[in-house]
Amino acid sequence: MKWIEVEFQGRRLRVPAVKSQGKLWVHWQGETFAFDVGGGSRRAGSDKGKSHPGVIAAPMPGKITRVGVKNGDRVSKGQALVVMEAMKMEYTLEADREGQVTEVNVQTGMQVGLGEVLVRVGEA
Amino acid sequence: MAKPRRFEKLAIANRGEVAVRIIRACQELGIETVLLHSSADERTLAARMADETVCIGEAPSAASYLNIQANVQGALAAGADAIHPGFGFLSENADFADAVTNAGMVFVGPSSANIRLFGDKISAKSHVEKAGGPVIPGYQGGDQSMDRLLKECERIGYPVICKAAAGGGGRGLKVIRNSFEAQDLIQSAQREAQSAFGSSQVFLEKYLDHAKHIEVQVFGHASGHVTALLERECSVQRRHQKIIEEALSPSLDEDLRRQIAATARELAESAGYRNAGTVEFLLQDGQFYFMEMNTRLQVEHPVTELVMGVDLVKAQILTAMGESTGWPKDLQPRGHAIECRLYAEDPYQNGIPSTGRMLGTDWPHGPGRRFEVGFEAGDEVTSHYDSMIAKVIVWDETRVRAIQKMKRTLQDTIVFGVHTNIPLLQQILSHEEFLSGKMTTRFFETHFNKALPRPEFSESENKMLQTLSAQLAETSSGSTGGQGSIEANPWAHTWGQS
Repeated sequence: MKWIEVEFQGRRLRVPAVKSQGKLWVHWQGETFAFDVGGGSRRAGSDKGKSHPGVIAAPMPGKITRVGVKNGDRVSKGQALVVMEAMKMEYTLEADREGQVTEVNVQTGMQVGLGEVLVRVGEA
Repeated sequence: MAKPRRFEKLAIANRGEVAVRIIRACQELGIETVLLHSSADERTLAARMADETVCIGEAPSAASYLNIQANVQGALAAGADAIHPGFGFLSENADFADAVTNAGMVFVGPSSANIRLFGDKISAKSHVEKAGGPVIPGYQGGDQSMDRLLKECERIGYPVICKAAAGGGGRGLKVIRNSFEAQDLIQSAQREAQSAFGSSQVFLEKYLDHAKHIEVQVFGHASGHVTALLERECSVQRRHQKIIEEALSPSLDEDLRRQIAATARELAESAGYRNAGTVEFLLQDGQFYFMEMNTRLQVEHPVTELVMGVDLVKAQILTAMGESTGWPKDLQPRGHAIECRLYAEDPYQNGIPSTGRMLGTDWPHGPGRRFEVGFEAGDEVTSHYDSMIAKVIVWDETRVRAIQKMKRTLQDTIVFGVHTNIPLLQQILSHEEFLSGKMTTRFFETHFNKALPRPEFSESENKMLQTLSAQLAETSSGSTGGQGSIEANPWAHTWGQS
């Protein structure tokens, strides 16, 4: 962690910050923020920060505890597709659109990494 | 049972901040420590602080922290006299307590008989009833005919909660608001219970829909005497996970305070309870009901320590050695203490867990501020264990001042590398229902069921942050470094946004 001197509204301030893996962490006005700034080495497969319709990716690393659909299933928007667990918390991933499941890459018990594509839902 | 004796070396069957807490207590008592850890926890503060470490298994808890034999063997190999189980994991496992004792070591905690008595919902409830304690009105009988169940609902009085006798975790759990919907909901609960647990048997219980979570810290001394260290309030919970705890409760008058403490003390004493324990109650409309007893140290023990002026972990170890805690007879509370649990999660994404390497932390120390921390810069927060990375605890003369102190402390707390729930904690600490002290266990779900809105930045802030970013080189080793070009509106690309 470094303290960076910056000028803000005519005052010189020392702001704690660190940059790592393409991310800038700043403590500003009593709160910590993280921003994607690029330039760093990113982990493979982490297509974070962007969302593509129908692509259901792991929002965190964790374990798959339930897979509710199989290839070819018709799903409605908001339908639970996969349940995963991390840090003892369950997290349900839902279909972000109506359509047909075109890809299921996971099964119960699998460990997945951040950003890994778990399920794809084709357009209705 | 192994005879109490002065410990030379104590093994810790736990991880994170509680392992650090226990190591510090041992250091002050002149006892050597050995940390029993998983392969994922080699690089943590506790592993660096312990005199010795033994890796007892792979990262998944079942292979390490929940493996009774691995823990016992690890402790024996290191020549430990005793094992402290911390909280969670094996801390309330009677078989573990027995295995430790049978191996000739001392289990720092209550007897395995007490763990069994209170660990089973039914035996705990009947113990409380026998001791004259208040239990939630309910029905746990074998007659599962619909006729009988409906009659019991009427007797208990709506709303009634119907739950699977065999299970937990919310499955087969229905809240019945009136007699019209009773039959349908009971049948649905029976079906779910059957499919989830292989038994359709259900319990009925009065549903307390505006209750507070009040718990009493009890402590059974080596002499057999039990002290009640008054209460904590833990009504701020999310899906039964506590977030903010305080001592004492803002909503008890002196009479009720005495009554609840005395009840908890009697429950523990009549069971011959030793060491630290917590009796949890639900309080609604001035009536309190026994919920459960936790036969271990609690996460939130520091608020009691600050208000009562005791060291519970040291007292646990001294008691396990057969020694006196040395507490004065007449312990009196002073001031107010609050604890906030820091979870590694993203409050702007509805609390989704956040993992990664800690890049830096700053804990703003000051009078009446205490930080219980398990990680330092460079340590990895993994997805294998729960997301609590630290606890911030404050003490001040009054509740209002303690809240002010907590807010300022969290403002100055820095955690880089993983997201934390600090923004959410700040919102809770500023909420009028919390300030009034009237919050119930439904407080969180009522007011905080949505993700927090992302803060917006002014143009001048954006500019300042771009300048700042340009001055800063990549710190992670092995990376190409270089000047990351920050986009015109970088906040739209905050990490993890989906």
